[in-house]
Amino acid sequence: MFGYYVSLALRSLRRTPVLSALMVAAIAVGVGAAMTTLTLNYMMSRNALAEKDSVLYAVQLDGWDPHEAADNPSEMPWQLTYQDSVNLLRSDIPSKQVAMHRWGGPISLENSDVRPFNADSRVTSRDFFALFDVPFLFGGTWSEEADQSPIHQLVLTSETNDKLFGGENSVGRTVNFNGVPFTVVGVTEHWQPSPKVHDLNNGHFNKSAEVFLPFGLHRAFEIYPWGNTNGWKSEEITSYEDRLNSDMVWLQYWVQLDSPKQVEAYRDFLTGYIREQKEQGRFPRPLKIGLSKPSEWLLLNEVVDGDDRMLNWLSLAFLLVCLVNAVALLLAKFLRKAPEAGVRRALGASRNAVFSQHLVESACVGLLGGLAGILLTLAGLSLIRQLQMGYMDRVASMDWTMMLAAIGLAVLSSLLAGFYPAWRISRTNPSIYLKTQ
Amino acid sequence: MLELRPILSALWRHKVSALLIALQLGLTLAIVSNALVVISERTERISRPTGVAENEIVTFNFMAIPKDYDMYDAFRQDLDMIRALPGVASATISNHVPLSGSGSASGFYTEPNKETGAMGSNYYTVDEHFVDALGMKLIAGRGFYPEEIMQIDPSSNDRPKVSVVTQKFADDLFPESDGNVLGKSFFLGGDDHPIEIVGIVERNLGPWPNSSIAGRGAFYPAITDRWFYYIVRAEPGQRDEVLKLVEEKLAERDGNRVINANTMEEEKAQYFAGDNTMIKVLSGVIVLLTFIVALGIVGLTVFWITQRQKQIGVRRALGATRTAISRYFLLENLMIAATGIALGTAAAQIFNGFLVREFDQPALPVSVTVFCALGLLAVSLAAALVPALRAANISPAMATRSV
Repeated sequence: MFGYYVSLALRSLRRTPVLSALMVAAIAVGVGAAMTTLTLNYMMSRNALAEKDSVLYAVQLDGWDPHEAADNPSEMPWQLTYQDSVNLLRSDIPSKQVAMHRWGGPISLENSDVRPFNADSRVTSRDFFALFDVPFLFGGTWSEEADQSPIHQLVLTSETNDKLFGGENSVGRTVNFNGVPFTVVGVTEHWQPSPKVHDLNNGHFNKSAEVFLPFGLHRAFEIYPWGNTNGWKSEEITSYEDRLNSDMVWLQYWVQLDSPKQVEAYRDFLTGYIREQKEQGRFPRPLKIGLSKPSEWLLLNEVVDGDDRMLNWLSLAFLLVCLVNAVALLLAKFLRKAPEAGVRRALGASRNAVFSQHLVESACVGLLGGLAGILLTLAGLSLIRQLQMGYMDRVASMDWTMMLAAIGLAVLSSLLAGFYPAWRISRTNPSIYLKTQ
Repeated sequence: MLELRPILSALWRHKVSALLIALQLGLTLAIVSNALVVISERTERISRPTGVAENEIVTFNFMAIPKDYDMYDAFRQDLDMIRALPGVASATISNHVPLSGSGSASGFYTEPNKETGAMGSNYYTVDEHFVDALGMKLIAGRGFYPEEIMQIDPSSNDRPKVSVVTQKFADDLFPESDGNVLGKSFFLGGDDHPIEIVGIVERNLGPWPNSSIAGRGAFYPAITDRWFYYIVRAEPGQRDEVLKLVEEKLAERDGNRVINANTMEEEKAQYFAGDNTMIKVLSGVIVLLTFIVALGIVGLTVFWITQRQKQIGVRRALGATRTAISRYFLLENLMIAATGIALGTAAAQIFNGFLVREFDQPALPVSVTVFCALGLLAVSLAAALVPALRAANISPAMATRSV
C-alpha cells in the first residue's frame, strides 16, 4: 500500500508542478536557513576533549583585584600567573598537568630552499601531548629537564614537518627557531581541535600551534606571550625576572584527575596553596578556585556567543513561517483534489487510508525539500565562510550527521505541515463530490 | 460599493487558509522588523567615523631571524627608507594598529597614588610622525618633538612625561573642564608620576571599536621593540602600490627577517567580520521571508480563484465589471493582510522583548514596525494583483459550464 501511495503522491505532485515546486521551495528554504545556523551552532559547541571530559580540568585561581572581581562570567581571571603556574607544577597530585601559553617566531632551516616563516608556537610543559591525547607520528615529548632549564628541543606538528622536511622522520634534525638551533624530538599527528578548547584566548576557532616548545625557555629567550596578558595592579617592573614574579596572568593551566579522590585532594592542595600565599600578602580576594571540565569550560567562555544563539532562534522562527506556508499550500492542493478523495471514499477506502495517502504525499514533498535544503545549507555555509574571512573555515562545514538531520527535519516538518490538510481531506463527505461529477 | 459582507462570508468558509496566510504575514512582520533594527545598529557600528585614514594606511611588521638583532637600528633605517619612497605620505612606528583587534589598554587617574576608580583607555606608543601618518586631526596643542621619543623596554618602568589624547579621553577623564585640558596631567595608578597632556586629536576609535572604551586613547612618545608596527599612509589612490613597494624594499634592505604586510582596510574588515555577517545574513532572511510569503499568497489566491471560477462567471454574467472582480480579490487580500499585520505588530514587540532581554539587542521603535508593516502590505497586495487581474478575464460563459 505504501508503494502505491508513493506513486500516487508523485503523480499528484507532477499534476500541479507550480504548486508542488512552491511547496518544495518553501520547505527547502526553511530547512536551509535552519540547518545553516544549527550546523554552525553544532560545530561551535563541539567538544574536542569529549573523550576525556570526566578527567580533565581547567584550573583558575582568584588572585584578582580586591576591589572588583575579574570581568567575565566566572568572576575569576581566565589565566594564571607565571609564579603560580611554576608552583602548581610541583604538585604530584594530578596524574598529568600542563602550564602553557602561545608564542611564536621565525623558523628556518640551514642550507635549505624552504623560505623562513613565522611559526605560531605553544610553550608548554611536557605532559601536553599525553594530557590532550595528541598522538605522535615520530619521536615523543621532551625530557623533564627541558621544563626546568633551557634545553633547545622542540616538537613539530605533521604540517610543519611536511613544510620543513617534506614529511620525513625529522627526529634528531636541527631547525632554527628565533635565531637559535633546536633539535627536533618529536612530530605529532594532525591535531586541530575546533573550538580550540585548550586555549580559548585570541579567537575560539583559530588554528592551533605549529611548533611546541619546552617550558624551561622563558628566561633564556625573555619570552613575552603572544596570547593575552592581563593585570589589575600597577607593579614596579624593572626586569624580566620582575615580570615573571608579577601578578600578571598569561598562562593556561590544565590538570588530569582520574578519580573523585584525586579531585578532592587537588582541591585541598589548591586551597592550601592560596592560604599559604595569602599569608605572604597575595590573593587579596575571598578564597576561590575553579576546576572546570572541558564541556563546562566551553560554556563558561561563551564560545557560542549571543549573536549565534540569536540567529538560531531566528532561523527556527523562519522555519516556522515556511511551515505555515507549506500548510496553507498543502491545504489548497489537497482540497483541489477533494473530488478524487471523494471517489476513493465512495469506493470503500477508509478515512485512515485517505489520511495516510495524503500524509505520504506530504512526506514526499518534505523529502524533496530536504534534499534541496541540504544544497541551500551548503551554499549558506560557504557564504558564512566567506563573510567571516577565514575565522570560521573549520566550523562552517557540514558532516553526515547534519545532512541526515537536515532530511529528518524536512520530513518531520512536512509531516507536521501535512497533518491538518490530510486530516481535513479525510473528513470530506464523499456524496457532495459524487453529485457534481 | 465595497462588497465586504460577501467577502467576509467567503473568507469564513476558508477560515483556516486565510488565517494561515495572516499568521505567516504576522510572523514575517515580527522577524523582519526585528532584523531591521539589528541591521541598522550593526551598520551604524561599522560606518562610524574611525578618526584615522583607514583607506590609505598599510602596516608592516617583521620578525628577525638571527637571535641578537639590533631592532632599534633597524627601525631607524627602515623608517628613513620608507619615508623617502615615492607614494608615501607619512610613516610612524606604533606598538599597535588601530581597528586591528589587537592593542593595549590601561587604567588612568586624575590624582597620584590611586588604586581604584580608574578610567579605562587604549594607549599607543608612537614616534613624532603619528598624527600625520594615522591621518588624524590635531585640534589643540601640539604633537611630539623628535627629542621626546623614548626607547621603552617592556620590562622597565619607564614612563613618558607627555601625552597626546583623544577628545573623548579628555572629556571622560576631566568631565568638568569643558575640553580645556591642555597642560593638565594624569596618572597611571600606584605612583605619583604625572603625564602632561600636550595635544588633543579629534578622534581615534582604538583597536577594539566595539568595546566600551572605544574612542578613548592616549598616545605616548615612545618606541618599544617587543611589539611594533610600521604604520604607513600612502598618497590617495596609491595604497596598493605602496604596500608592494615597501614590502619589497624592506626585504631588500635586510633579507634576514620575515615580513608581514597588511592594509588597515583589511584589518578593519576582519574586526567587523562578525557584525558584517549578521548584516548580510539578516538581510538575506528579510528578502527570503518576504519572497516566501509572497509565493504563499500567490499560491493561495490562484487556488481560490480556480475554485470559484464558476461563481466569478456568474457574477460577470449578472453584470459585474472586470474591475469589480479584481477589486473583490484585492479587498479580500487586504483584509487578510490587515489581520496579519495586527497580529504581527504584537508578535514583533514580544519577539523584541525577548531579544532585548536575552541578547542585549536594541529596542524596536514603532516607526520601524510601521515601516515594515506598510512594506509587507504592499508586497501582499502586489502578490495578489496578478492572480486578481487574471480572475477578471474569466468569461461569463463559465457560468453555464459545470466544472
